[in-house]
Amino acid sequence: MHESAVIEPEEKAPVAESSEKKVQHKWWHRWFRTPGELRKLGVVGINMRNARFLLPNNPRRLYDLVDNKLRTKALAEEQGMKVAETYGVIRTPYDANKIEKILNGNEAFVIKPTRGSGGKGVMVIDKRVGKNFIKPSGAEVTLGDLKNYVSNILAGLFSLGGQRDFALIEYRVQAAKLFMALSFQGAPDIRVVMLHGYPVLAMLRVTTKESDGRSNLHQGAIGIGIDIATGMSVQAIHHGRPVSVHPDLGIGLIGVQMPDWETILHMAVTCQEMTGLGYLGVDIMIDETLGPLMIEVNARPGLAIQMANGIGLLRRLEPVVEQHRKNPTAHLTAKIAFSKKHFRAKLPPARD
Amino acid sequence: MTAHGKLLTAVFSLTMVGGGLAAYKSQKIGVPFLEGEQVDEWLVEAKVSFLAIGKKVKARLSLPSDAVQQGAGQEAGSLGYHYDVENDRDEYTAVWSAQERDEGQALYYRVRFKQGLVSGGEPKAALEQPAKPDVPKLPGSLGAAAQGIVSQAKKVSSDPDSLFVALFKQINDTSSSQEFVLVKRHYEKQAVTNPEIAMGIDLLGLAGVPARLAYGVFLNEENAGQAPLPLLEYYDGAFWKVRNPLEPSKLLDGRELFVWHRGGGPLLDVTGGENSRVSFTVAKDRIPLATLTDLSDSPFLISTILALPVSERAVFRYIVLIPLGAFVVVIMRNIIGIPTLGTFMPVLLALALLEIKPVQGIIMFSILVGAGLWFRFLLSRMNLLVVPRVAACVVIVTLLMMLMGVMSFQLGFSVGIKITLFPMIIIAWTLERMSLIWEEEGKRSAFSQVFGSIIVAVCAYYFMRVSQIQYWAYYFPELLLVLLAVILLIGRYTGYRFSELIRFKTFSNA
Repeated sequence: MHESAVIEPEEKAPVAESSEKKVQHKWWHRWFRTPGELRKLGVVGINMRNARFLLPNNPRRLYDLVDNKLRTKALAEEQGMKVAETYGVIRTPYDANKIEKILNGNEAFVIKPTRGSGGKGVMVIDKRVGKNFIKPSGAEVTLGDLKNYVSNILAGLFSLGGQRDFALIEYRVQAAKLFMALSFQGAPDIRVVMLHGYPVLAMLRVTTKESDGRSNLHQGAIGIGIDIATGMSVQAIHHGRPVSVHPDLGIGLIGVQMPDWETILHMAVTCQEMTGLGYLGVDIMIDETLGPLMIEVNARPGLAIQMANGIGLLRRLEPVVEQHRKNPTAHLTAKIAFSKKHFRAKLPPARD
Repeated sequence: MTAHGKLLTAVFSLTMVGGGLAAYKSQKIGVPFLEGEQVDEWLVEAKVSFLAIGKKVKARLSLPSDAVQQGAGQEAGSLGYHYDVENDRDEYTAVWSAQERDEGQALYYRVRFKQGLVSGGEPKAALEQPAKPDVPKLPGSLGAAAQGIVSQAKKVSSDPDSLFVALFKQINDTSSSQEFVLVKRHYEKQAVTNPEIAMGIDLLGLAGVPARLAYGVFLNEENAGQAPLPLLEYYDGAFWKVRNPLEPSKLLDGRELFVWHRGGGPLLDVTGGENSRVSFTVAKDRIPLATLTDLSDSPFLISTILALPVSERAVFRYIVLIPLGAFVVVIMRNIIGIPTLGTFMPVLLALALLEIKPVQGIIMFSILVGAGLWFRFLLSRMNLLVVPRVAACVVIVTLLMMLMGVMSFQLGFSVGIKITLFPMIIIAWTLERMSLIWEEEGKRSAFSQVFGSIIVAVCAYYFMRVSQIQYWAYYFPELLLVLLAVILLIGRYTGYRFSELIRFKTFSNA
């Protein structure tokens, strides 16, 4: 990376978002939006994401770096990034008997497949009561259940295409209090989507009663858009509709300041640089004592993030494509500066 | 060259090659481009197969005499055999002979005729008065029983036709009189191939009506490699008539049945081989014979399935449809945006629907998946490992299929029997995949994907069933290159999917 690349053109500011007019409400908006309207909003569809951003920028050979969590973690640690501590990896059914030894007295932990994505196959254990383990929902799990679960992971139940897999046992993130207050029985995570290392959109996903501890928007989790420039939550959506308070907890979701926002952006962009993927999403959790921890990198980030922010991805991606073309070797700090400068959202009043 | 340029070049050349070949075939060789521009023809292929035992081989296959006499198109295929057609007072026989042969042999004889009402089983004047039938004496009480049956039947009938109907109605009836059951058992014990027909011939003989065995072929494309259908030919005093003993009161319909062999004598006779059998495959040929002979001389024969024997062609009737199904899947997923379980599961499901009827097929699919899913959840309580669990699903689905087959047979639906053709691996796999999605993404997701798959499969089914499209795929397979070009183009479609217009309807501008 060249230091000289830090300087960026002032006058070539991309389209300011505030200048856009709101689309007038039409009768058909109850059922659908026309392609023309969506294009005007800069919404990116799956086909466009794949053909214009994913396929040209993410070479197939790099996918294994992020699809295999062991490799992602190793890369991240090389970069000095903070990740959840690995207690152990179970590679064979025989190793499954060594769970107790691997846990080594840790009462809270997470078991996940090394190749699962999007929270698939993740089992969280909060504490132990006697011989049994307790999940966040309060359900009890025996050691036998745990071994069985590990065997299923090893057989490839959760991995793409059912290929053989390993089970990763790692530190259970104790989410920051601020976040736990926003979320129903589950740790929220922050997703930052980047193109060529420029953060374009970010969101916080919090769980609800309905989503049952999962942070998948499809299953009823809430997506909260975050302003790239300040790390302040801008708006929230639940099942595609704007909400301002958590449906189960009644707590306000807008105008919340993310802690350690600078670190989070820095972490995300480092993930881009270490994997070499052009278009990716990075999931980060914030630990009460350890601060931001990188959880996983996703080479096929979804499109719901545009809904959460109310901003079409194309609005953000096109200026980045242009900037990257002009300045292909920009430094990490320059990229963050560019994003913070141009991707500033209209801020709501702070919550407190 | 840019990716864009490469794509356009590929699309252009595929379209030119595919379209050009099709144009050449239709303009120069004269293969009609649109279906139904000419009369359909039936092509019936007899395949004689046997195991040669290392001696001189001679195979004699009786031929449909009407077809041969009227100069219907016929051809015989057999490598290294001497082939001849023998004519014995209007009875034609194909004779193949060869020196020492070993192992499995296959001989083909094909005949073509216009689709129509002529079945080849029309009343035929006898060349000479047939001899009084010579009926083997039945032992003891059986003889009396048979006599009783015949006199009973004679009472209610006025001529050989009605006698035939009366006798065979009783033979086919499961609840016939005691005398009948007695005689029938005797014939069943004799272990002849068609006890009912053998019994019918003897009973007709007792009544003084000469009768003999004939063979026919169902004009049904689905039933590849069918065994010859035994028919009965009887003499009504002036004519020899053929009827199907299973449907005694129905006259033969030339649209459904073709009489291959009549006039007594064996259908097939092989010396120097064992395990000999003859099977028939029927295909509807839409290209007239004259055109075909032009085509077989042209180098473009290679681009038609017509170069294959009929029995092999039957397989390709389905295979050429798979790309069409795949095309529908591409449109439904990338342009409409319907979620499906796996990418090409709907194509397989659509192929299965082509064999079963769509409504019954979908009902059956739903029942099997529903029941299987229920068992799958019972299994998941036992904490089984993945592979044994899938295997257990397969066992359960197999049993369910058998149960459904038996049940629908008992209830009188013949579809149940066909279910064995239903690709059960698809069902087992659907179960596994669906239950996984159920656990991971919730039941809504699982159901929407299964419904999506069914919808796509039904669309693919209706698309593949359009006879003009089947015709193109079958006679102009090079058009699949054009289809490939279209698929490549869709591969670069970056617009919105229909489902996304709905998904983003609440998009609110920040």
